[in-house]
Amino acid sequence: MNAGLLRRGALLIWTALVFAFIFAPIVSTIVFSFNADRFPSLPWGGFSLQWYEAIFADASVQRGLINSLIVAGATSVLATFLGFAAAYVDYRYRFFGKMAYTALVAMPPTVPVVILGVAMLTFEGRVGLSGTLTGVTVGHVVLAAPFAMALIRMRLADLDPGIERAAWNLGATPWATMTGVVMPFCLPAILASVFLTAAVSFDEFMIAWFVSGVNETLPVRVLAMLQGQVSPRINAIGAIVFIVSMTLVVVAQILIGRRLGRRSKEA
Amino acid sequence: MTGTKAGPMLEIDRVAKRYGDTVAVAEVSFNIEKGEFIALMGPSGCGKTTTLRMIAGLDTPSEGELRLWGRRINEDAPWERDAPLVWQNYALFPFLSVVKNVEFGLKQRGLPAAERRKKAMEWMERLGIAGFAERSVDQLSGGQRQRVALARALALEPDMLLLDEPLSALDPHLRVRMQSELVRLHRELGITFVCVTHSHSEAFAMADRVVIMSEGRVQQIGAPRAIYRRAANRFVAEFVGGNNLFAGKASRASSGSLRIDGPFGSALAPLPPDPAIGEGASVTLVVAADRIDIAATRTGTGNEIEARVVTMEVVGSSATVFLETAGGAELSVQRSLHQIEDTPLNPGQAVIARWSQDEGYFLPA
Amino acid sequence: MPDARSTQTRPLAAPVTSSARATRWRFAAFWGLPPLLWQFAFFVVPLGFLVAMTFWSVKSFRLTPDATLANWTFILNAGFFRNAYVYTFWLAGLTALLASVIAFPAAYTLAFRLKPATRRFLVFMLVVPFFTSYPVRIYSTQIFFSPQGIINAALHPFGLGPISVLNTPAGTVIGYLVLTLPLVVLLQTFALANVPRTLIEAAHNLGCGRLRTILTVIVPSARVGLIVAATFAFVLAFGDYVAPLYLGGSKPPTLSILIADQVKSGNHWPRASVVAVIMIATLIAVMTAMLALAYGRKGGKR
Repeated sequence: MNAGLLRRGALLIWTALVFAFIFAPIVSTIVFSFNADRFPSLPWGGFSLQWYEAIFADASVQRGLINSLIVAGATSVLATFLGFAAAYVDYRYRFFGKMAYTALVAMPPTVPVVILGVAMLTFEGRVGLSGTLTGVTVGHVVLAAPFAMALIRMRLADLDPGIERAAWNLGATPWATMTGVVMPFCLPAILASVFLTAAVSFDEFMIAWFVSGVNETLPVRVLAMLQGQVSPRINAIGAIVFIVSMTLVVVAQILIGRRLGRRSKEA
Repeated sequence: MTGTKAGPMLEIDRVAKRYGDTVAVAEVSFNIEKGEFIALMGPSGCGKTTTLRMIAGLDTPSEGELRLWGRRINEDAPWERDAPLVWQNYALFPFLSVVKNVEFGLKQRGLPAAERRKKAMEWMERLGIAGFAERSVDQLSGGQRQRVALARALALEPDMLLLDEPLSALDPHLRVRMQSELVRLHRELGITFVCVTHSHSEAFAMADRVVIMSEGRVQQIGAPRAIYRRAANRFVAEFVGGNNLFAGKASRASSGSLRIDGPFGSALAPLPPDPAIGEGASVTLVVAADRIDIAATRTGTGNEIEARVVTMEVVGSSATVFLETAGGAELSVQRSLHQIEDTPLNPGQAVIARWSQDEGYFLPA
Repeated sequence: MPDARSTQTRPLAAPVTSSARATRWRFAAFWGLPPLLWQFAFFVVPLGFLVAMTFWSVKSFRLTPDATLANWTFILNAGFFRNAYVYTFWLAGLTALLASVIAFPAAYTLAFRLKPATRRFLVFMLVVPFFTSYPVRIYSTQIFFSPQGIINAALHPFGLGPISVLNTPAGTVIGYLVLTLPLVVLLQTFALANVPRTLIEAAHNLGCGRLRTILTVIVPSARVGLIVAATFAFVLAFGDYVAPLYLGGSKPPTLSILIADQVKSGNHWPRASVVAVIMIATLIAVMTAMLALAYGRKGGKR
């Protein structure tokens, strides 16, 4: 009995340490963004908003934030459309080479972003996209579409394959079935995917670092600031990025959760 | 397994199991004797599987005590017990070959590789699966998997084998074969079998004794024939099937017998010792369907009820005739076909259902 | 779309006309082609272009299409590349191993020892780091381990330290763990939670104690998931740029630092492409090997 308690305690302590290791950087970022001291260490130097004031006064940070929001917005719409289309094709059709098709769409996240970044840079340099926000968006859509596909495909797995045939039987064309049956059914997943892909884009720094040129996004600005000296302003930016991303993810999570809740009520 | 082995092998003493607010087993007490084939039977949710899991040590009782040869085993870890279980879905290890599955328990006991292979092969031979030794378990049919699960448990040569719904995942024709094979194994091995099942036909066909459970409590314990002949309460009478239950009011007939009047008509049966059953009480009269005769006319002996034929089902050489009385009560009669070949039994036909007064017995309503 | 309306009004009993077939094809193409074209144009083509560029040359700071093997021979013979390759591979492998070992007890606790509600909450928490700026997390980690940082401040009263991991391989590995540990814990938790409970109970029932059950039943049952988790850790660490730069001080440089240096300062894109292509080939080889390990060698003959 005592050995059991000891074993259980050891497991819980180990788990707590692992979580502490994972979350200490995140928590300290937020905590020290309000620290009055320049060098972040204990004891705390007192509460202050000076680093937030500093970054909001910094034109390059402002510019970066706006650029990031533009790219994230465009990416979320495009990636969600492509992800939905690919998920629907995977759900609906059987054809030769389907494995290759889904693999092609799903593959990009398995390629290191540093390589995607170089590839994007060399390619976009040729076609005149490098250094533009469009160029960054293109890369982010490639990276984010697989997440959209996965999310929407999971939702489609719950759609009875016979339901489309039932709609045709009632006189609906494939287009009418799509807008009247399939899309409404997928709506929670589609919205969740919009938020999730926006978050993926908003946090992506490597492709953007290679491609953005002078049009820096916020994470690229952070990378640039990291190369300089220690500055609590990075914490303030980190905290803001955290709030924005987590808002997007939590909204996505709620949309997925609501779908699960509704399903369990139906059951 | 040392020390004296007098008395019951396993005592289940006022055992209860609760998960939070959910009561899986309210209170259960019974003994298991060495070498018997005992079946725990009841509808789903009656607590029979939880009871079995507590015997295996997979669940710990919330209250009460389990004693093996008189020694408390509540706190013994499952791996310290000697009660291998044949799982409902077999729970074979998919990452091990068939023979490795059978060897698994022997390996835990530290048997040398050659010895455990030999022993495993012996058991697989005995159960007719030696030819699949090197196969992966997902290549086996349901019946073969069942045998692997049995071999895996029996290879440990335990004093007690636990079986959780061993036949439920099999095809009907395999089920009957496996049923007689389990009985044969039990007889040959002479060890204790504890089998959980929801099917009364399985339990009655295989077990020496049956424990009927409902809502976490034992309803009746006894030999199949005894339970069938005299149910302890209404639940058992209905659950084991083949019984007619007539509701009505009791009134005095003569010394030693009681009269019941209800929608089915009226009948006599012996007065039971139960004080709850007496003059003026609401009671239930139970009469087994195969103890009722069916005739065209009255003879004036025993209990006779007028009824009309509703329908008749014939299975093999026996028939079940469903009747309805003028009062709207239903009754079923089981006869061999040759016993009723002279009686016209078209739907709507008026007939007499007759049984001897000793065949019925009273239960509280 | 106007065509769609006209088919909608056709009699239901009508045979499948050519116009109906055309509608179906148009419909399928509308959904099937955009993802295909997009990923082809902006994923396959850039990667193909990257491969092609490995054969280009740089003449007086200008990229020139060519068919030379000079970049390959240069990189493959360069000592700095070989060192970086071995170093990166070794560090990524070490990270995969460390992350797997460190994560396992935590994943085991999440999967088997906690209430479902607690597990759901912690699993959600593990998703949070993916949406928290990774460079900022590395910056934070840098502060933690800096000479005057929290770790050393905490060690000082015990007469320990100061420890200096910054600008060492250990610093890089710590950064890799910041990157990979959440994912590894998450994937291992899913893998372990999917181990059928009855298999574990069956092992117990057959006399297998707790620790032995983990080794003989739980790990083999969850093998695919555990290997996938380790593989992801390797892939992420192998390609990471931020940790080796800011925590490892790029001493020695990893492959991703070589790429970034060649592109941003050296301006020698073809050589960077060679490194990138070798990295991809390595990752494909590692993933294939790991998948073979995960799905191969099963119990019994198949």
